[in-house]
Amino acid sequence: MSAFVTPDVPVLVHGITGRIGRRHTRNMLEYGTNIVAGVAAREDRVEGVPVFRSTAEAVRATGARAAVAIVPALSVLETIIDSIDAGLQLIVTVAEGVPVHDALRARQALRHSATRWIGASTPGLVFPGKSKLGFLPSVSIAPGDLGVMAKSGTLSYEVCHRLVRAGLGQSLWIGVGGDAVKGTRFADMLPYFATDPATRALVVLGEIGGNEEEELATALQATSFAKPVYALIAGSAAREGVTMGHAGALIHGNTGTVASKSAALQAAGAEVFTRIDDLVRAVAAGAGAFRPSQNPPVAA
Amino acid sequence: MMLLEHDAKELLSRLGLPIPRGILVTGAAQALAVPVPCVVKAQVPVGGRGLAGGISIARSAAERDAALHNILGMAIKGHTVNAVRIEQPVEFIAETYISFSVDAGAANIRVLMSAEGGVDIEDEARRAQLFSAAADPDLDSVCATVRDLASRLPAEIRAAVAGAGQALAQAFFHYEAVLLEINPLFICADGNWVVGDAKFVADDNAFERRADVRGQVEARPTLYPQMALKLNQGYDFVRLDPLGDIGLVTTGAGLSMQLVDELVKRGHSPFDFCDIRTGEFRGRPDRLIQVLRWIAEGPRIRAVLVNFFAGLTDLGEIAGLLLQALQAVPEIRVPVTARLIGNNLDEAVRVVGRAGNPIAIETDLERAIDMAIASMAAIAVEPGR
Repeated sequence: MSAFVTPDVPVLVHGITGRIGRRHTRNMLEYGTNIVAGVAAREDRVEGVPVFRSTAEAVRATGARAAVAIVPALSVLETIIDSIDAGLQLIVTVAEGVPVHDALRARQALRHSATRWIGASTPGLVFPGKSKLGFLPSVSIAPGDLGVMAKSGTLSYEVCHRLVRAGLGQSLWIGVGGDAVKGTRFADMLPYFATDPATRALVVLGEIGGNEEEELATALQATSFAKPVYALIAGSAAREGVTMGHAGALIHGNTGTVASKSAALQAAGAEVFTRIDDLVRAVAAGAGAFRPSQNPPVAA
Repeated sequence: MMLLEHDAKELLSRLGLPIPRGILVTGAAQALAVPVPCVVKAQVPVGGRGLAGGISIARSAAERDAALHNILGMAIKGHTVNAVRIEQPVEFIAETYISFSVDAGAANIRVLMSAEGGVDIEDEARRAQLFSAAADPDLDSVCATVRDLASRLPAEIRAAVAGAGQALAQAFFHYEAVLLEINPLFICADGNWVVGDAKFVADDNAFERRADVRGQVEARPTLYPQMALKLNQGYDFVRLDPLGDIGLVTTGAGLSMQLVDELVKRGHSPFDFCDIRTGEFRGRPDRLIQVLRWIAEGPRIRAVLVNFFAGLTDLGEIAGLLLQALQAVPEIRVPVTARLIGNNLDEAVRVVGRAGNPIAIETDLERAIDMAIASMAAIAVEPGR
């Protein structure tokens, strides 16, 4: 897979003519995202952006390198394959409810490509103050030192909002999505955050189910990740066999519990919390050490 | 979502896979005609039923009726047993094990196999001894892996397990399963095999194109209440504690789950988990009314906490809908605290103010939690309710 995109990456929007597609496109343009094309069956222009009938055509005409797909869940697989065929570097799919077997097929197709998939079921990613691929809420975004990765959209809105109020913004905030089979997992983003000079600490918002947090812990140790890591694991009050919203958030037997995730991350040197306030306090307290001294945290 | 064993077996049987003859029973009267000996098995969506006393072999009618009496209504890992499957025992020469599961990290299919099945396979040390291999997520690759693993089994069961495994792999892909575990897979003296137990985790995201699996779930709304609700209403509502002291009206799966944690850590017991999806209200208070009605059924509810972190949703409109819903559900007599943040908050405050402030609005979640908890002090639980 190629290097991660930069904030100025030219973006195309799949499903740009839908009600939600239009709204997200308008908001992304206002934020400063370099949207160069749309792909849809009808119309020629949305919010001033030229619309093409196919991904390949849009890429040829505009040089788009990344895509945001605002298409129904059952169309996500086809859109990903189109994006691979058109040679895009990145595709973000926001739809919830992508079937697991479609996600498996997408991962198969991506394996031999240079395309990275972020999603499904994600509000997207933002380079604060620069560009946004998705619909992360402005009230939670500010430029800063923290690399943020989250499974849950709404939980990350809340945590980032509180961090921003405490004067702690983000270098890159990325939603990896709450599904079990997904394009980009926590550990996949480590090389980026390790080398990105703007990122001085990592905030990981995990939840019960699967083994993505354990996998991240292994990667932290294997790569001797040198920046401070703060993690919140949601779902400590959940019980086995009960799904709470996210398809991936389900405990089976002894795996996927808060205890197993916390133990693994702590062993890898992370500070792990189960309450939002505790995490925010710890990041604020740690900021004195990890950020440059001329830039102290602002009081809430 | 995990299917009940009975439904898993029915779906497998429909593709021609052999299962023991059996019926689903929800009341003792239905079982009177079932011949003995028979096996009575609790139908709950968790593993470890045998160890919990949820599976019983009955040699006489009296034993059958006693087993039914004991198992129906018992709780296994917090799930009440509302149905049992009663089936004919199988004569076998070996109890083997096979499973297919989606490995989310590797994005492939993990196949596990063993000549010896049994309950202790849940044990991690035991699991490590299973024959295991990963296959690409397509039927041909998985069948090749099944044949390869089966070749390491004892000669007298090899062919049967290989045959069963390939039929099961077909079912796994046909139904778009996330997990299909057969433990035990009975091998009979004549070389035939029978699905002894089936753990089937279905993908509800595929229901739109998998009418067969969806139909199995929809046929039993009382046994799959959570999924029935989701399929009917399009949102999530889970009763966590029928005697809970605080009702939650919240949106967003992750934040709602975290809010449950925060309340439990403060010593309270949320009545429900809820992801109401404010973005799908379409100007109607219906979802709010339904959720408030459910919460009103809680006999020990002393406060309602609303938490809407709205990205794009108009909070002015949401506040209006919330007021309409509260008017429609006068059974809610406890204080309502609403944590609202996002688009058009000022209008929400105005709308609620014009109505005489029946809801306390707060923008900070920690403060809203504190307010909701403080509001409980004024509410005594009515004795006998």
